[in-house]
Amino acid sequence: MNKILRGVAAAGLLAASAIGAGTAQAQETIKVGILHSLSGTMAISETTLKDVMLMLIDDQNKKGGVLGKKLEAVVVDPASNWPLFAEKARELITQQKVAVTFGCWTSVSRKAVLPVFEELNSILFYPVQYEGEESQRNIFYTGAAPNQQAIPAVDYLMGKEKVKRWVLAGTDYVYPRTTNKILEAYLKAKGVPAEDIMINYTPFGHSDWQSIVSGIKKFGSAGKKTAVVSTINGDANVPFYKELGSQGVKAVDIPVVAFSVGEEELAGIDTGPLVGHLAAWNYFMSVKSPENAVFIKKWQTFIKNPKRVTNDPMEAHVIGFNMWVKAVEKAGTTAPDAVIDAIVGVSVPNLSGGYSTMMPNHHITKPVLIGEVQANGQFDIVWSTSGLVVGDEWSDFLPDSKPLIADWRAPMSCGNFNTVTGKCGGKGS
Amino acid sequence: MSCVRLRLFAILAAIALLSSVSGPANAAEDLRPLVDKLGLGDFEETARAVDSLAATGDARAAPLLEALANGDLNIRKSDGRVVIAIRDGADYKLADPLDGAALGVVPAGGLDRIRINNSLRRNIRAAIGALTLRSPDPSVRRGAAEAVFKSRDAGAIEILDAAIAAEQDSGVRRVMEQARAATILAGNAPESDKLAAIDVLAARGDRDALALLNNVEINSQGALKDAAATASAKLTDTLAIWGMVQNVWYGLSLGSVLLLAAIGLAVTFGVMGVINMAHGEMVMLGAYTAFVVQSVVREFTPELYDLSLVIALPLAFLFAGGVGVLIERSIIRWLYGRPLETLLATWGLSLVLQQAVRTVFGATNQEVSAPSWMAGAFAIGQIQITWGRLWIVILATMVFVALVVVLRKTSFGLQMRAVTQNRSMASSMGIRTPWVDAMTFGLGSGIAGIAGVALSQIDNVSPNLGQSYIIDSFMVVVFGGVGNLWGTLVGALTLGIVNKLLEPYAGAVFAKVFVLVFIILFIQKRPRGLLALRGRVAEA
Amino acid sequence: MISGRLVRGLEGRVYIALAALAVVAVLLPVLNLALPEDSAFHVSSYAVTLAGKYLCYALLALSVDLVWGYCGILSLGHGAFFALGGYAMGMYLMRQIGARGVYGNPDLPDFMVFLNWKELPWYWYGFDQLWFACLMVVMVPGMLAFVFGWFAFRSRVTGVYLSIITQALTFALLLSFFRNDFGFGGNNGLTDFKDILGFNIQTDETRSGLFVASAMAMALGLIVASFVVRSKLGKVLVALRDAESRTRFLGYRVERYKLFVWTLSACMAGVAGGLYVPQVGIINPGEFAPANSIEVVIWVAVGGRGLLVGSVVGAILVNFAKTWFTGALPEFWLFALGGLFIAVTLFMPRGVLGLVPSLRGKIRPLRLPGIGKGTSSTVESPAKAGE
Repeated sequence: MNKILRGVAAAGLLAASAIGAGTAQAQETIKVGILHSLSGTMAISETTLKDVMLMLIDDQNKKGGVLGKKLEAVVVDPASNWPLFAEKARELITQQKVAVTFGCWTSVSRKAVLPVFEELNSILFYPVQYEGEESQRNIFYTGAAPNQQAIPAVDYLMGKEKVKRWVLAGTDYVYPRTTNKILEAYLKAKGVPAEDIMINYTPFGHSDWQSIVSGIKKFGSAGKKTAVVSTINGDANVPFYKELGSQGVKAVDIPVVAFSVGEEELAGIDTGPLVGHLAAWNYFMSVKSPENAVFIKKWQTFIKNPKRVTNDPMEAHVIGFNMWVKAVEKAGTTAPDAVIDAIVGVSVPNLSGGYSTMMPNHHITKPVLIGEVQANGQFDIVWSTSGLVVGDEWSDFLPDSKPLIADWRAPMSCGNFNTVTGKCGGKGS
Repeated sequence: MSCVRLRLFAILAAIALLSSVSGPANAAEDLRPLVDKLGLGDFEETARAVDSLAATGDARAAPLLEALANGDLNIRKSDGRVVIAIRDGADYKLADPLDGAALGVVPAGGLDRIRINNSLRRNIRAAIGALTLRSPDPSVRRGAAEAVFKSRDAGAIEILDAAIAAEQDSGVRRVMEQARAATILAGNAPESDKLAAIDVLAARGDRDALALLNNVEINSQGALKDAAATASAKLTDTLAIWGMVQNVWYGLSLGSVLLLAAIGLAVTFGVMGVINMAHGEMVMLGAYTAFVVQSVVREFTPELYDLSLVIALPLAFLFAGGVGVLIERSIIRWLYGRPLETLLATWGLSLVLQQAVRTVFGATNQEVSAPSWMAGAFAIGQIQITWGRLWIVILATMVFVALVVVLRKTSFGLQMRAVTQNRSMASSMGIRTPWVDAMTFGLGSGIAGIAGVALSQIDNVSPNLGQSYIIDSFMVVVFGGVGNLWGTLVGALTLGIVNKLLEPYAGAVFAKVFVLVFIILFIQKRPRGLLALRGRVAEA
Repeated sequence: MISGRLVRGLEGRVYIALAALAVVAVLLPVLNLALPEDSAFHVSSYAVTLAGKYLCYALLALSVDLVWGYCGILSLGHGAFFALGGYAMGMYLMRQIGARGVYGNPDLPDFMVFLNWKELPWYWYGFDQLWFACLMVVMVPGMLAFVFGWFAFRSRVTGVYLSIITQALTFALLLSFFRNDFGFGGNNGLTDFKDILGFNIQTDETRSGLFVASAMAMALGLIVASFVVRSKLGKVLVALRDAESRTRFLGYRVERYKLFVWTLSACMAGVAGGLYVPQVGIINPGEFAPANSIEVVIWVAVGGRGLLVGSVVGAILVNFAKTWFTGALPEFWLFALGGLFIAVTLFMPRGVLGLVPSLRGKIRPLRLPGIGKGTSSTVESPAKAGE
């Protein structure tokens, strides 16, 4: 027993030395951390992103790697557990000595690792559409900010579909809350009265949607054209859409526009009854461009499944990865400070036929596309912005974030510069 | 493949039928220039082309528009001609949209699909509605009338009047009259007509009618506004009462989902005392069985596709049951008398099973589609009942009855009860207790598998499926009273209905919190569950 | 007098555990802070934080062992007390951020600012003081456990019924804390902490300090638990674990004993949570998830139930395995972990520590009463029980 106890006491030491031994022999490669959940509730979405990263790294190595060195992927499983995300981030940076990390899906996982990246000064590329209200020096946001997804979608419904009455339905967490807050302010600014906006929140993984779908139908029977703006997250979407389908809520009567439903989610649903419901993204698999055709082919070959779909966060990783490679080559080193300075202004082709640029606020420019669900599980693009939209990290529709801007270039180097007080650090005092 | 051929055949047959009814083939050529306009420009131009096709009143345009709505209408890139294309393997079979003549085969790259959006879909629906009001098939006429009701296209009034005059079927005529009323209210008809229309709509009595009445109330003045307001208020009250009934139905349906999920646990946990944390994974295995069966059926015998879930039910039972027997023989049997340790082992097992499924099928959702007889909904009065939910209620009832019969009326059931009540005595009486244990655990797991097939219809088919039901299942079994099947039944229905009655007032989150608090308080009052076992057994 | 009883109250393995704790508590920080980073004996801050986290888990496991191993109450909701303690500490840390949040609002945490809250809700008052937060770390879980236990034990809710309602309790709290309206940051929880008592939370010194604090809390927990189980009170607990009705008929007020230990255990879990949060940097409703509470029970079972030190060993062992597997076998670690649980159950029915004979060479035969009551399959036949 004595032995066991001592062994247990040394567990921490062991962990350090076991992993430390691994780093010594790996001088020849540049390590790239992949921090996506492979088990637990988020595995359903994040596993795909891990595979995309492996493909991109593999691909880059075939082209000769970066700075003459091969890239080496370091995959860990944070298991959809937020404290574990922080622990794994620390392990990647301090033990594995990765040059850059690609990872996270949920906002809470990003919030959990954010102090770690800040403290250890390493780089994270975050590929998922999110609520904004954040700009951190060590994090690059390659997904959409609310103005790159939610607001154009609402504009489309207001303009083309003449929607007058709005259901904002979401899962009760920070992304829907913030997005709905922004949309509510936006709609009110456009003259929509409060009684024509219904906001509804459901718990994570909500599976019984009968009452809510019937509530939506009820709200839709007030004599004005009604639409649903859905920020329902993850697992809950499948039962939601199944219920919509079986209760016969047709897109021509009450369209549902979703910000978290892409090709991957639709792959689990029979989309026949859902034809015409909408989604707003910066990329659809159905985008017609040579880059996209190449990417889809490469992906389906890599994953050895000719039916696998692609989606928006995958494109975000493609863009983010290519930007990082370009910035590293520009800086001539993988040192985080140099890369952070070099990457602002870097442009790489996106998959919809244009270029995306990293902006000083660490968000990127993207086109906004609106697609309608088709019976084959794909989206038909029915509308797109004429140009690129710059990700706006601090929404203009929230009073406290309105005066804030982010610019990480010297001399400002600030994520929350207040234009009213002229000081960095939010409100200032 | 055969269903594709069937679809092509159906379209062509419709075209042939219509062109033979409406005379010489060259008449079709009148429509040709309009058809060619369909694929010329953006959505607005397509919409204008659809409207002008509808304005011809020519019924031959209807199948063409159907094809457009289904996304089967394409432009042949080689000559810009509008054709119907149906997928056939890697290629597309082409047909003329007007006379149905075969136009050969092209590869996928040789076509441009004419794309539509929602507003175009509305135009098409209105156009098809107006065009098919005089169809020989009453169900088509009914559908057409509903479409006009939705579109409220002022141009359709004359056609409607003619159709109403000719209509023999009273049910269809009523819908046509309602459509006419809706159209009148949307247009510039005199006030007296509109007042009459309000009465017609009030008699229809559903949400669509309410929406129209509310619209009138918003957009008009004077007597019309008052009449609409009165009718709308009355309708709202009626619908509120129906809403209560509807909530009870939702509760019933949620309750039967809970029952299905929990009833297998009522056997493995309630009867055998095994704290089976892997129960949820048995449910998941059942759902994946449904997925595999459906994929196989789709591949090899598509004509049985509609029956794939029925085929999956016994297979899911056998597969999950088989896995259950395997688990019992390899793990659980070493743990009788140490029920707490079954918690540890089955928890480990559930992790292994989840990861195994993730490794085999991938982490993403799989699609198990609804067969046609489970899709859609029907109405009783003003409550909507979806077929899928109804079948789940029926299935839950059948499973429950079957289980009770097995336990009460078969010799296996007798042995099972004997073993669980007094193992050593049962063994002394010559019952092979290890066999009974394995079969009981297999039975519980098999029922979980059946539940999985049903849940595949309403929830994700993913490795996490089981996790989302395991806690609810334990709540139901414990709330109802461990070891009592009837308790599980009453428990599941109570929790389902309480949840659904609370939800409209408290919201989805608090409804659930209230139910949990309710369970906690209820157990204080009845520490052995709703229907407690009495006597010495309970105190063992 | 008291110290004499205290010394007699401790068992051999507890002494060893305390000694090991003391060694680790001194050694790790010294090796971390005093040695240069390239030294072969340097311990990284990563390892220190990890060890601190394990100790918090171990304290949580100890609290579960106290009620489960000695009192027969299988709690599937101890994560709730842990998380409540964590939230109390998290609230203090949030208040310490002050005007350094992204919006720079000195009065409100960021999540309240973007939810348009105008003023601090009343239940956040006082949390800018560490002493108050520390009090709440103990009091909130303690009060909840007291009220819950007072009702449940008086109503004689036992066995699996009690287990399931503890699960219902933590599940209800999970759902409530997920709600943003609740005022605890919703799903994102509380994060982005800056300092504790004026010390920057990200420095190695603070980390080591927190680690030592965790080790001390762990030691204190072991001493208290050990004292309780070796006292006369502890004997009554074992008696009521093994034969509740008989103990009651002998005149003991069973529910009072249970309530005392239950509340004590919840307070310990709260302390564990309070120390856990500053070390991992986030507290979120996910900690209330019933699965987490089940896992704690499993740590105890792996280590060896009813041995106090066993739960500590189990918690550290399982969490170390988890850390190691998720890095080394990211795609297959659940097989390894699940397999471990099954193997322990089948081959080490008394847990890892049960394999090791005690120093004095006597292990009291431990009867594990079933909770699957209502059937007589729980009546143990020696052959089946595998003892």
